[in-house]
Amino acid sequence: MAHALANELTADSAMTLNQARVGCDMTIQVLSGPSCDRLRDLGFCEQLQVRKLANGRNLICSVCGTRLAISRELADQVIVAPVR
Amino acid sequence: MSDSPALETIALVGNPNAGKTTLFNALTKSIERVGNYAGVTVAVKSGEMFTPHGRKVRVLDLPGCYSLRSSSPDEKIARDALLGEAPDVPKPDLALCVVDASNLERHLNLVLQVIELGIPVVIALNMVDVAEGQGLRLDPAKLSEELGIPVVPIQANAAKGLVELKQALRHPLPHAAESPWIAGEGDSETRRRQTVARLCNLVARRPDAHQQTLSDKLDAVFLHPLWGWVSFLLIMFAVFWAIFSFADIPMGWIETGLGNLGNWLGGVIPEGDLRSLVVDGAVPGVSGVLVFLPQIVLLFLFIGLLESSGYMARAAYLMDGFMSKAGLSGKAFLPLFSSYACAIPGVMATRTIDSAKERLVTIFVAPWMSCSARLPVYFLIVPLLLHEDEGSWKQALILFAIYTLGTLSAFVVSRVLRGRLGPDKTPNHFLLELPPFRSPQWSYILRHVLDRAWSFIAKAGTLILGLSILLWALKTYPKSEGSDSEKLAHSAMGRIGAVIEPVVKPLGFDGRTGTAILTSFAAREVFNTTMGIIFNVEETDDEAATRGRLREVISSATWPDGRPLFTPLSLISLLVFYIYALQCLPTSAVVAREAGSWKWAAGQFAFMSGFAYLASLVVFQIGRAFGLS
Repeated sequence: MAHALANELTADSAMTLNQARVGCDMTIQVLSGPSCDRLRDLGFCEQLQVRKLANGRNLICSVCGTRLAISRELADQVIVAPVR
Repeated sequence: MSDSPALETIALVGNPNAGKTTLFNALTKSIERVGNYAGVTVAVKSGEMFTPHGRKVRVLDLPGCYSLRSSSPDEKIARDALLGEAPDVPKPDLALCVVDASNLERHLNLVLQVIELGIPVVIALNMVDVAEGQGLRLDPAKLSEELGIPVVPIQANAAKGLVELKQALRHPLPHAAESPWIAGEGDSETRRRQTVARLCNLVARRPDAHQQTLSDKLDAVFLHPLWGWVSFLLIMFAVFWAIFSFADIPMGWIETGLGNLGNWLGGVIPEGDLRSLVVDGAVPGVSGVLVFLPQIVLLFLFIGLLESSGYMARAAYLMDGFMSKAGLSGKAFLPLFSSYACAIPGVMATRTIDSAKERLVTIFVAPWMSCSARLPVYFLIVPLLLHEDEGSWKQALILFAIYTLGTLSAFVVSRVLRGRLGPDKTPNHFLLELPPFRSPQWSYILRHVLDRAWSFIAKAGTLILGLSILLWALKTYPKSEGSDSEKLAHSAMGRIGAVIEPVVKPLGFDGRTGTAILTSFAAREVFNTTMGIIFNVEETDDEAATRGRLREVISSATWPDGRPLFTPLSLISLLVFYIYALQCLPTSAVVAREAGSWKWAAGQFAFMSGFAYLASLVVFQIGRAFGLS
């Protein structure tokens, strides 16, 4: 899994949603982890834009104009890269 | 539901908070609960409507779900009902997918899954006003063409587009559409996602710039680690203060009206048992509860406002950190908050919680959120703790403390219980939609509040009236000669009181209060009824107001040796008892059903009753040891 992931990402710019800076627009690259399906159902799909709005115990981010609060464990499963 | 099986059935399907129940209410003229947060509907609701050609169809309102892979009980209910696998629910002939037009990217995925099931689908493109306000350019005709199914733009809360929608639902129903995206390479999930992305590009172009909306500005305050809490506490306190100060005026009218009624009836009915039944039984019994109608109305009004504005989801987000210390997540806050109105919908609402163990714990502690049935008792007792001229903000502060005590105790218990149940097999993470703030749906809120007020009055006119008559009979028979207190001691009620007195004396109550507590296990409000009947003094020639003023009579009641019966300490002990006691049979029945075990309900009842007694005992005995009276 880790191998496949490394190939898909441009190593320098990819990070988890947790590591992203507040207020930045990001593009979702890959979802990896046990809760992928749940995240996709909520709108965290590959190629979509996400904006991180707040850090904390739970992150707040907006996807497709909807604000969602998700736990840090979930945010760790969302790999994003800055919008180019 | 099985009365007319030939009816065609339409099921409302969609993501949570897409507006399914609002549309359901508009189509079927029902008044099911709606709110601006995910997970208000947790059971299948059924109603009927007529198509433009006068054909009757059945409409089912399903709980919201993000996909047909169900993870929480409410989503499973929706999935089973849609597939026709749920007991007692007819298999739908058509799925009416309710889609938030401002969120097509997220909502269309479920629509595709429903189309794949092979049942006819019609899309109701809801909240088109919101979408256009965000600058989205919608093309419903293109979407309809691409998917091969009817798409109707509507605005459910303003009842716009309903005629067109009913046209689309007329007989014969549309055919099931093809799902061409199934064929192809890769897994179906990916292809479905690609289809959604392609459709959204075609029919709902989103402006690129991220706009700063009003919700953004409000969220900057409400979700702030510090200001969020400050505003949460301010909002809650304002609600309590408003309930106390606004309710006073209409309460005075009701008191005077009922007092006049009692006096008038006393004058009309000839002397005898019948007059005593009406004037000393029915009127004080019912009025002891009915005078608190304004408070009930205000409580439901404020809860309705909070729920429909979108603030509830913010409060749940804020509470998550705090709730995690209690072994629960922020999601459990929503059902617990519902329980402030009534524990029954609160217990039902736990179906939105993914973790089965967390759900059980939430069900267990929900009755400690002080419900509206406790309000009459609180409002009878709290003002006795203060002088007449003290401001309503002090009363509000005491009420606030009562609610806080119940809530915090619930968290302590849930922490202990959660620890004993052990961790979940699969981890469940916090995940919550924060819907945009909306102005409240006034028409719904007013109807809802009227509905609740009416059911409160109906309860006073049936259950409370019946119990008043029964209690009057217990107080009156067997008859004897002598003073009022001797008569009471000789009556059936007096004898019951004498038996109970040793049990409740350590808590600071006499046999009369003990009897009132015992009767309140039928329903909490009956405490007021019993107090009204027991302490009802026969002074018909007095002013009209006295009869209604139960509080004054109680505050002058004494023990046989002349000490005042209700001291501040015994009043606090009484309040503590009512915070913790579970005196609501319907709640126990719902807990037994939702937890799937009557043992859980019985254990909850035994624990809460025992805890109420012990807590009250501890408060009174420790207070006395410290020299309080």
